[in-house]
Amino acid sequence: MFEVSIGLAAATMLVMALVMSYILGWANKKFHVEVDSRVEAVLEALPGANCGGCGFLGCSDYAVSIVADGAPVNRCPVGGQGCASRLAGIMGVEVGENLPFRPIVHCGAHLKDRLGRTAYIGEQRCASANLVADVQGCTYGCLGFGDCTRACKYDAIHIVDGLAVVDYDACIGCGACAKVCPRNIITITPFRSERVMAVTCSNKDKGKDVMAVCEVGCIGCKACSRLSEVITIEDNLSVIDYDRYTAECMPGLMKACEKCPRSRLVFIGKPATEDQKEGADVELPEIVAPDFKTTVDDTEWRG
Amino acid sequence: MVYFIDILLIALSAALINNFIFYYFVGACPFIGVSRNVDMAFGMGCAVTFVMSIAVFLSWTITTFILVPGAPVSTFIAGFFLSAEQAATIDLTILSYIIYIFVIASSVQFVEMYMRKFLPLLYKSFGVFLPLITTNCAIMFACLIILSKVSGVENPADAWDLGRALTLAFFGGVGFTIAIVIMAGIREELELCDIPKPFQGAAITLVVGGILALAFMGFTGVNTGLKKALTFTPVAEAEMNDSGSH
Repeated sequence: MFEVSIGLAAATMLVMALVMSYILGWANKKFHVEVDSRVEAVLEALPGANCGGCGFLGCSDYAVSIVADGAPVNRCPVGGQGCASRLAGIMGVEVGENLPFRPIVHCGAHLKDRLGRTAYIGEQRCASANLVADVQGCTYGCLGFGDCTRACKYDAIHIVDGLAVVDYDACIGCGACAKVCPRNIITITPFRSERVMAVTCSNKDKGKDVMAVCEVGCIGCKACSRLSEVITIEDNLSVIDYDRYTAECMPGLMKACEKCPRSRLVFIGKPATEDQKEGADVELPEIVAPDFKTTVDDTEWRG
Repeated sequence: MVYFIDILLIALSAALINNFIFYYFVGACPFIGVSRNVDMAFGMGCAVTFVMSIAVFLSWTITTFILVPGAPVSTFIAGFFLSAEQAATIDLTILSYIIYIFVIASSVQFVEMYMRKFLPLLYKSFGVFLPLITTNCAIMFACLIILSKVSGVENPADAWDLGRALTLAFFGGVGFTIAIVIMAGIREELELCDIPKPFQGAAITLVVGGILALAFMGFTGVNTGLKKALTFTPVAEAEMNDSGSH
């Protein structure tokens, strides 16, 4: 009786396993879908950050688009050149020029430089502050409430003294900050070198009006555009044409940089090696580790 | 006639009154996970209904013919080794859980292959959730209800037949679809609402789910009332009056 029960149970499981595996094996062959093996290879080569910086829905969507629709292989901002060349190897195509895209904050005014500021006690967001007039005199510049900081998944943009500053070591160029900025002062720009010259102002008003609201804003004096051919003045604002920004333009740009009365042409990006060497000698205060004992009050009460 | 009333009551009970999600609280993971937009929720509901029907069909067959005491196949095989009375007492219901899991997993695998071949768009929109149906407790729960209705009855004639079992499975799935589509509709509207920060995301979803469950509690007791109304006959009333007068 007992043995028969066990035997029957074992037999039931065995027969079911056989039947099911037969059916599934048959279905696997019958419903087989041809998957391009390159999709998997491309997916393997992509970094898998799923940031959407390439403009597709995620890494897998980009992989399918590369293989099926022939999307360009150099779109991944995270993987950069190495990833692009691996993808090109898989797909058998030439890699185009692949520049890292990084954000530039086109505002350089810290709190003390901004004029006409009023106390704002509403929701501490750029999006809400942007709806209200007179938070600060300049209606173009950075508001400094850190919508970009909250949007950044990589902790690469911070508000320093009321101004959004990109940490180019951490930034991967996904463009989330540019999308969220209500004043559209962050542009995603191809960086031809580690450091590029940038115009850190977005104010399109006439010089007199700019001077009324900002200590440092671009007044559209055209001095820079006379000295460098890659700078043009559009709506009273200097604009650098990054498509023509090459090493040959650098002398002209440097001259323009020195000439700028408001010092609005600045280098942006990772610090140059000579600057880092200079900075290495400067003694920094030691980083203090948190001492949690200080938060515990173990003094005896002597009332 | 009685059979049809029974089927009707089972269907109504599974879909609304004893809704899997709002009454038994099974299958809550896809209910929270895939209820972000109505189209996907409806697709998920259809997939669950389909898988549940297949799984219940298979598990009813296996339970009735192999697992329960006195089941034809096991009795027949045991008859070679044991006497007829002993063979009829062979009880394999201890295998129920492992066999149901086995059946559910294989049928989900099968459905996945089928969809990948013939419904690639739906397959793509499901993503990870289709394999997750494998571990969806709503389906296991439906199988276990069938087990209790087939093997837990005192009188063998009361054991559920395939029609009742499939009705429960199909309308259980319909109830799941109703629940998840309502939830998805509410969540689509919630996207536009100004929800306080601490309530955003999972918190408000659970709150909404709880309120929906409360609303569905309004159906409680409808099935007994309905059964009384449907099986009401003058004869029965006369008998009741007789017994009352005595």
